[in-house]
Amino acid sequence: MIARWLCLLLPVSTSLIGGCGDHQSVLNPAGPEALQLTQLTWLLFGFGTVVLATVVLTVIGAVRGPQPVRTMLASTRMVVSAGIFFPALTLTGLLGYGIWLTRANFANPGEAGILRVVVTGEQWWWRVDYPQGGNGAFATANEIRLPVGRPILFELRSADVIHSFWVPNLAGKVDMIPGRITYARLHADRTGIFRGQCAEFCGGPHALMALEVIVMTQSDFDAWLQNQSRPAIDPQSTSAREGKALFLAAGCGACHAVRGTPASGTIGPDLTHLASRRSVGLDTATMSQASIARFISDGQHVKPGNRMPPFRIFAPDDLSAVAIYLAGLK
Amino acid sequence: MSNAHAPAGEQRSLELDRQQLERIWALPNGWRILSAVNNTVVGYFYIGAAFLFFLLAGLLALLMRTQLALPSNTFLSADTYNQIFTMHGTVMMFLFAVPAVEAMGILLLPQMLGARDLPFPRLGAFAFWAYFVGGLVFFSTLFFDLAPSGGWFMYPPLSNTRYSPDIGADFWLLGIGFIEISAIAGAIEIIVGILRTRAPGMSLDKMPMFAWTMLVFAGMIVFAFPAVILATIMLELERALGWPFFDAAKGGDALLWQHLFWFFGHPEVYIIFLPAAGMVSMIVASMAGTPLIAFNLIVVALIATGFFSFGLWVHHMFTTGLPAMSVSFFSAASMAVAIPSAVQVFAWIATFAAGRLRLATPALFVLGFLFIFTLGGLTGVMVAMVPFDWQAHDTYFIVAHLHYVLIGGMVFPLFAALYYWAPAFSSRALSERLGKWSFWLMFLGFNIAFLPMHLLGLWGMPRRVYTYPAEMGWQTLNLVASAGAFLLAAGVLVFICDLFRNLRPNLASPAGNVWGAGTLEWLENGLYGPRSIPHVESRYPLWQQPDLAKDVAAARFYLPNAPTGLRETIVTSPIEAAPQYLQRLPGPGWTPLFAAIFTAAFFMLLTVKMLLAALACAVLALACILVWVWGSDPEPLGHVQIGGGIDLPTYASGAVSHAWWAVVIVLLVAGSLYLSFVFSYLYLWTVAAQAWSLAIQSGLPSAASAYVGAGLLGLSAACVGVAGKVLARSRTGFAALVLIALLALPAALGLEVAAHWRSGLRPQASGYAALVYLAAVLQLQIVVAVVVTGAYTLTRLAMGRLSASRRVTFDTLALLSYYAAGQGMLGLLLVHGFPRAVS
Amino acid sequence: MAAALFLLAWSGIYNVAASTGHWAVVDWFLAFGMRNSVDLRANAITAPVLDRPDLIRLGAAHFHGGCAFCHGAPGVPVSPIARQMLPSPPHLATSMRTWTDEELFWIVQHGIKYTGMPGWVALERADEIWAVVAFLKRLPVMDANSYRELALGRVEPASQSGEALATVDSNPQDASACARCHGAADSGPASALVPILHGQPEPFLIAALEEYAQGSRRSGIMQPLAADLGAHDLQRLAAYYAKLSPRRSDNSAHSSTNERGRRLATEGDPVNGIPACEPCHGRSGLARYPRLAGQNAAYMEAQLGLWAAGHHTSTAGGAIMGPIAQRLSEADIKAVSAYFAAQAPEQVGAKP
Repeated sequence: MIARWLCLLLPVSTSLIGGCGDHQSVLNPAGPEALQLTQLTWLLFGFGTVVLATVVLTVIGAVRGPQPVRTMLASTRMVVSAGIFFPALTLTGLLGYGIWLTRANFANPGEAGILRVVVTGEQWWWRVDYPQGGNGAFATANEIRLPVGRPILFELRSADVIHSFWVPNLAGKVDMIPGRITYARLHADRTGIFRGQCAEFCGGPHALMALEVIVMTQSDFDAWLQNQSRPAIDPQSTSAREGKALFLAAGCGACHAVRGTPASGTIGPDLTHLASRRSVGLDTATMSQASIARFISDGQHVKPGNRMPPFRIFAPDDLSAVAIYLAGLK
Repeated sequence: MSNAHAPAGEQRSLELDRQQLERIWALPNGWRILSAVNNTVVGYFYIGAAFLFFLLAGLLALLMRTQLALPSNTFLSADTYNQIFTMHGTVMMFLFAVPAVEAMGILLLPQMLGARDLPFPRLGAFAFWAYFVGGLVFFSTLFFDLAPSGGWFMYPPLSNTRYSPDIGADFWLLGIGFIEISAIAGAIEIIVGILRTRAPGMSLDKMPMFAWTMLVFAGMIVFAFPAVILATIMLELERALGWPFFDAAKGGDALLWQHLFWFFGHPEVYIIFLPAAGMVSMIVASMAGTPLIAFNLIVVALIATGFFSFGLWVHHMFTTGLPAMSVSFFSAASMAVAIPSAVQVFAWIATFAAGRLRLATPALFVLGFLFIFTLGGLTGVMVAMVPFDWQAHDTYFIVAHLHYVLIGGMVFPLFAALYYWAPAFSSRALSERLGKWSFWLMFLGFNIAFLPMHLLGLWGMPRRVYTYPAEMGWQTLNLVASAGAFLLAAGVLVFICDLFRNLRPNLASPAGNVWGAGTLEWLENGLYGPRSIPHVESRYPLWQQPDLAKDVAAARFYLPNAPTGLRETIVTSPIEAAPQYLQRLPGPGWTPLFAAIFTAAFFMLLTVKMLLAALACAVLALACILVWVWGSDPEPLGHVQIGGGIDLPTYASGAVSHAWWAVVIVLLVAGSLYLSFVFSYLYLWTVAAQAWSLAIQSGLPSAASAYVGAGLLGLSAACVGVAGKVLARSRTGFAALVLIALLALPAALGLEVAAHWRSGLRPQASGYAALVYLAAVLQLQIVVAVVVTGAYTLTRLAMGRLSASRRVTFDTLALLSYYAAGQGMLGLLLVHGFPRAVS
Repeated sequence: MAAALFLLAWSGIYNVAASTGHWAVVDWFLAFGMRNSVDLRANAITAPVLDRPDLIRLGAAHFHGGCAFCHGAPGVPVSPIARQMLPSPPHLATSMRTWTDEELFWIVQHGIKYTGMPGWVALERADEIWAVVAFLKRLPVMDANSYRELALGRVEPASQSGEALATVDSNPQDASACARCHGAADSGPASALVPILHGQPEPFLIAALEEYAQGSRRSGIMQPLAADLGAHDLQRLAAYYAKLSPRRSDNSAHSSTNERGRRLATEGDPVNGIPACEPCHGRSGLARYPRLAGQNAAYMEAQLGLWAAGHHTSTAGGAIMGPIAQRLSEADIKAVSAYFAAQAPEQVGAKP
């Protein structure tokens, strides 16, 4: 709320700024953990502004002020009180608050009964596993769906270099370090779509390594969970069936898994319910048959440097068939 | 000490003295100026080179801002952008910031302290040339698409061979490695210069504030840089030979790099800031026309900042999942360090109030610095709060913070300093009009560029991204920031115009004390410094000792001539500045330049794996260094008169010798390097303890080999000790003992390596194994130094340049040998004792 | 000096006729300069072991098609046309100068200025060039029969009727038949460095030939040959080989069903980002992909090595195989090649 107010108060109009970019913003908290961090932000901003203003006024007073003010300022006593006592007092207070907030937000990996989601950072996508899926564990990629109002424990890993899991609307960031497991605990108190981004430089197209967290009502989430843990839908149309045969013959299953088919590769994202996601091409384009086709044949121009090579071996009809098949994997 | 008007005969001899000084201190002419070693010339080259790198890295920044001005921009590809931002950070931090403040020290300190030059002129020249040549080669990798692209802090695993297979990372590691050596050489010179060559009477409490900050600066370099030197050695060994220090799959840990790097990296920013603060202190006092308020408190604050800054490094790692208790401790320390900075800020404000601030260009830059740095310091307090940092870390908020404290805290003071001190080194002062234009363009441009970034970070824009999508709503602020960057660049351009129009380097007759300042660098200085070295009785000698300038110019103080006919300066005691002996200084020479070129070539050829050529360059570099060192340690010439009724020896050995102090500082560096290694060893044990228990089971070498090794080390140290005593009586006995020591040291090392090798341990096997062999690598470095120094000592003995009364060379050897033995024993204790203790 | 040279050229006084030859001193000077230049540059090269039958056969087969016209061969003189070149190409079988292996490599790779000796079509294919050098080393001691056996294998030049000789535009001595290297219905490739084409899917063979013809797939041996084929010939050739029964590699020394190779082929190495080979290269893979079962191990190793070194990654297949090969270690490459060489091939035949 306050965030929107202040956006309007800013000297530049909201329309110019373009909506304050609030779906990946610290200033637009969507959960209690994030709210605490936002409140801390405003407190610190306020503190900082007050101190800066004081310093500026003091400087003006010292340089241009009347003599009595200057005599008062020109003393070791002023230096000690403004330079030692005042900061010591205020900073100790802030520190206390900070330490309390730190401890309150530390994730306890052993917490029982909490929904766990395992996210593994890869160059340059997110592998998402739900160990407690509706009908068993399942894997997806780049999109995390959560129920509103329930705490979630994220178990964070890395498959290669250091990444960082950051969804500012919901929580602070936690690094994903190879050889270690780190944890983040958060919950969302309203539904919505929140964007996150890798926040530790991981080479190449680090700038394009985004993810979406979609918070849904509990019933929608349960339905989604049930659907995701089922194996892939069988292709309905002829072209989709052709596409599936081509998909398997082209060896896509060596890297990608589609549960319920022989495709069981774990190197790339799981595609079992690809079409149920909002984006494709490692989160750079909205989900559509055309985007899928484009990513398969020209992925290096969509997300330069990503690990999937371009597949230019398909004739145009064959490519459409594969895309039709994949676009049917809801 | 003022005399009556001197009689004519005395006047003529004074004139002859002055001519003698001019002749002795004359600069080589034409292109031979490259062989000059005067601190003023080297200082000028240094600041020029640093400024050049500032401009080059600034151009890189303009390229980055052009790319980011529009969403999904294609001006630069991802890979090019990644190289550019890596180089921007690396060049600014390593090739501009530290060298620039080091350059100001080299340029200003001797004159400020009343010395004729720094105590190791050729070392200073070497440090400069190594930095300049190496820096240019490193920067040029950009033009061949070979620049590093892993960010200026090069985190593994991204920076190891698997994820960065190209040679850029190796250029970074080896290039930065020896630029650090250059910084350490400069630090040695500065510490010894500040503590041992002040004018007589300038006790520590009368020393100018800039000298205090440079002292703390140099001390911090000694203890901080070795951590990153060790880290770069380790990463290069991992890349080149597969020693898995940072590879979690083999018992290493990626966080080990972060700990080592930031243990250096955090003090690094204070290393950059403190000299700038010192310059500000000097400028504020002069511009306000009154001594600095709370001087002693500021000195305490400086030292406190120096100490505290070593305890903060984990605040760069708040998001890595470390326990709450650790991060809270470092959060507290990070906030505490704001207090000494606040003390300085308010002391300056108090000084404004106490005097009458003249709003000339230097003062404007100081005011700009105060605003920008305070704002940066406050955002620093914000990110010191762990939960806030969880949101702000690695976003544009941090980019904003770091530029506010670095540009505010160092660049603005540097510009103030250039405007302020130009009249001391140029026959014309810089222009006030252009200065004001430069200031306002820079100040406005800077704030327009970086203030919006705070908001961008909170709106979710991470750092080190080569582009961003349009729907994020970040494009307006990015465009504004880019515009601001160009405005800032315009301000710098105005400054460059000012330099061209007004800067006329002139060390013999500069413009002079246009500000009416109070410290010694404003005396009438020739190439030889002041006409005579004053006796100092106050903190602001030109203000508080009224006739000082006149008396110095009339040669009424110390060293009005050159009693030994060579370049000289007075070596004084560290606290009271009582004269102790007269040091003879070297004149121009080519060996530092060539040694630097060959050293740079060695590192660069090693990077491209041309091993034979690299070895050849190493040998040549060593040869140049030996030639240069051969000319030092001149023969004792008895006592000479330096004026004021004082006569001083011309030679000192033992703990009072400036050379001894330099070696001790080198050993502190080596010790810090080794302690970083000990930390790494113990740290990896906490991460991967199973490797240690495995080591015991599969066969740690027997304790016997460790005892024999320790015995050999002890023997070596003992022989050196006894040799020192025997030197006066028997040259052959001395030589024999030294020879035994020189054989025992490498033997101990060889024994240790062979023992581990025979037990089947290979360094590529695990992080533990790599550390065991790393101990040997570090021991090898010191053993080589001892053996070379030992051979050199014996040669000097044979040529009659070493004796009981002329023994500085041997003292150096002794210090190195004792240290080598001690380090070796600590290594044995750790490698053989620790696994047994914990199993 | 420059003016004098210009004048000389402008006036036309200097006779550029090849028929009149060089003055002796000019001839000596040019040869002297050439020898020293080659010698200097050859110092940077290190020769591998060249005494390998596979290399020699491959080199011989290429020599016959690509070099013999100018340089002759045992029992075959230098063509009269080529003899009139200046300098005249030496008859290598009888009068080859003593060059070191490295110098020969350099000459074959780069050609020589001011002569008709061309550089290699695909400069980066050092493997092919060494094959030619390996053959050249043997050449001086060969007689006509051993040469024909090496270079032609079992291929017989067609004996045509008088009418065919008169009216059909083909050179019976040419024998540029693919079978010289790749074998045909009753024989496999003479060299293990040459791939077995028998029974490979037709779309794959067509695509490979097209890539050679366009130059996106680089080979000094295959590019000139493929460029010569018209679109129809290309398809007929592909159909011919696709219909042949698949053959297993003759070179059993390099085949083995090793565990590492098997694992890479069937499961890949997910930790290192290497997908399994079977889904694409097994019997149910797309016809656009080659079948690997029974293929020559040495050939597969060489191909994987080329991709790993970043060569021909711009073809459609190379774009996929390049990143995969770069993640394979040398041991991986050997293991997986040996594994596939030991598998029994199955008929795929024409386009599905």
